[in-house]
Amino acid sequence: MAEAALRLSGLVKRFGAHAAVDGIDLAVAPGEFVTLLGPSGCGKTTTLNLVAGFLSADAGHITLAGRHVEELPPFKRDLGMVFQDYALFPHLSVADNVGFGLKMRGVAAAESATRVREALSLVKLDGLETRKPLQLSGGQRQRVALARALVIRPAMLLLDEPLSNLDLKLREEMRIEISALQRRLKIATIFVTHDQSEALTMSDRIAVMRNGRIEQLGRPAEIYERPATRFVAGFIGSINMIGARIVGAPDGNGVARLETAAGPAHARLPAGAALGAQVTLTVRPERLKLGPPGGAPHAVNSWPATIERVIYLGARLELRLRLADGAVALAEAANDGATRWSEGQTTQAWFQPGDSWVIAEAADST
Amino acid sequence: MRAGRLQPWTLLVACVVAIYGFILGPIAITTAVSFNATNRSFFPPRGFSLKWWGEAFAPQWLQPLQFSLELAALTALIATIVGVPLAFAFARHEFAGKGLIRAITLGPLILPTLVTGIALLQFLTTIGLGRWMGYWALLIGHVVICLPFSVRTIAISLQAMPGSVESAAAGLGASPLRVLRHVTLPLITPGVFAGMSFAFIHSFTDINLSLFVAKPGQRPITVAILSFLDFGFAPTLAALSIISLLIPLLLVALLGRFIGIGNFLYQEQARG
Repeated sequence: MAEAALRLSGLVKRFGAHAAVDGIDLAVAPGEFVTLLGPSGCGKTTTLNLVAGFLSADAGHITLAGRHVEELPPFKRDLGMVFQDYALFPHLSVADNVGFGLKMRGVAAAESATRVREALSLVKLDGLETRKPLQLSGGQRQRVALARALVIRPAMLLLDEPLSNLDLKLREEMRIEISALQRRLKIATIFVTHDQSEALTMSDRIAVMRNGRIEQLGRPAEIYERPATRFVAGFIGSINMIGARIVGAPDGNGVARLETAAGPAHARLPAGAALGAQVTLTVRPERLKLGPPGGAPHAVNSWPATIERVIYLGARLELRLRLADGAVALAEAANDGATRWSEGQTTQAWFQPGDSWVIAEAADST
Repeated sequence: MRAGRLQPWTLLVACVVAIYGFILGPIAITTAVSFNATNRSFFPPRGFSLKWWGEAFAPQWLQPLQFSLELAALTALIATIVGVPLAFAFARHEFAGKGLIRAITLGPLILPTLVTGIALLQFLTTIGLGRWMGYWALLIGHVVICLPFSVRTIAISLQAMPGSVESAAAGLGASPLRVLRHVTLPLITPGVFAGMSFAFIHSFTDINLSLFVAKPGQRPITVAILSFLDFGFAPTLAALSIISLLIPLLLVALLGRFIGIGNFLYQEQARG
């Protein structure tokens, strides 16, 4: 395997008694897009600032392409960073903003001008060279910041919530654009966000962070479909979590029998789940199906449910269900016109064993 | 109902009009008085004459005027040179005794200048530097009372600058010195010049302190005007007042035009 573009090992950063980053290990492969995802205060931005060198670690190592950089000041680390507020230099023109890093590196004026022009055209800002940052829209400022970070051909790109100040439509556009650009340039990238949909759509891998630690690291589909903890399950998307106990040994497909308050269930188990253990059974709302009204119950994982509320989302419907034990469950159905759901209706809620996932944490723990 | 709702609004408008009246009225009347043809300050002016303006440019007045300008310029320069590092220390660093040093630096802002003047007079006499009385005492005193203006204004401009801008420069390969030169200093320049002009104006318009430590023959224009008032408010004084008013106004206008300190004076924060 090629040398990692970035490797963090045992990284710790304390502010007073509080460990903002509490032992992080992470390797980013060359050209890989890794997202640090988590709620505010989880340590994701602190981690990024440690990599950039704006903070110094209390313990652990940071290597960039095999080179230790813990002792290097930020201006010697050769990283391209985009800040949440863009941090453009208000007194400099767009061209001088983008060319700043080249000037600091002593690149000759003629070459610098060419590279600035190329970088601006890369982010589709041709012709705006002489504007000042204040004369630009939010999206344009974002692009200037991106061009400024990329023009120095950094070893790595660091993005600190770069989309959070844009309106929704622009944010979705920029998501796609940044992703495409990153793929084309094959530049290793760390992206910090608290927005799960940004993380899911842009990343090669996501590190879900909580309390200064990485709770789970994996591809977007892994994180979404096989969350390791209740926190990860709850942080990304909506999910039904039901307390359960393993009462049977897993079969050849890893599916075992569980007991829940709503009824018996068959579900996929994670490796190492012990018979008799208290666990959490999870089913995503889009995988929780509702039996045809009045139809016969399905053989497995089928529980009687009452539709309490139908929330209209346009293309989809969100259905709030009450199960037999009084618990609330969420289901999502396509608004395809085939079935009409109404509030107060009783039906069967069911799921395929392969559409569920068991987390090896008891339901009442967090 | 309608009238009842309008009343507070009407009252506010009346207050605002009155305030502007009291700001602009005296200036207008003083200007008018300076054109009197008589040798007393009548309003409305009796006749029209420029002789008081001619009088105002006589050596008797030009000398203190020049003295005041030079003193204010030097005071502003020193207050700025001392103020920039102080502002950095207050805005960026934590150190032992910071609160105390800041209180001492900014103290003259809330202390009556009259008290500072008397205290300075006492102090110089007591420590045996009475011979410093006059120019040096004036300069020291003016720097002391003007320093808070430059320090505060520069510190505010430092705090208003988002820290990420400097981080961004460092991330792009700028050493701390180059961050200072290419980013920090250019961005606080309007604040520095605003502080400088505040210091200049405060020194130029000071009378309380100057009254105590100025020596005859080395008097600022304000002290000269006050002394002359003993002989009554002659139209010359009206002309001099207008000149003293125009100088700071001109300074602010020039700086506003060329450096953009207007943003500073009028609190319009422009960020990138």
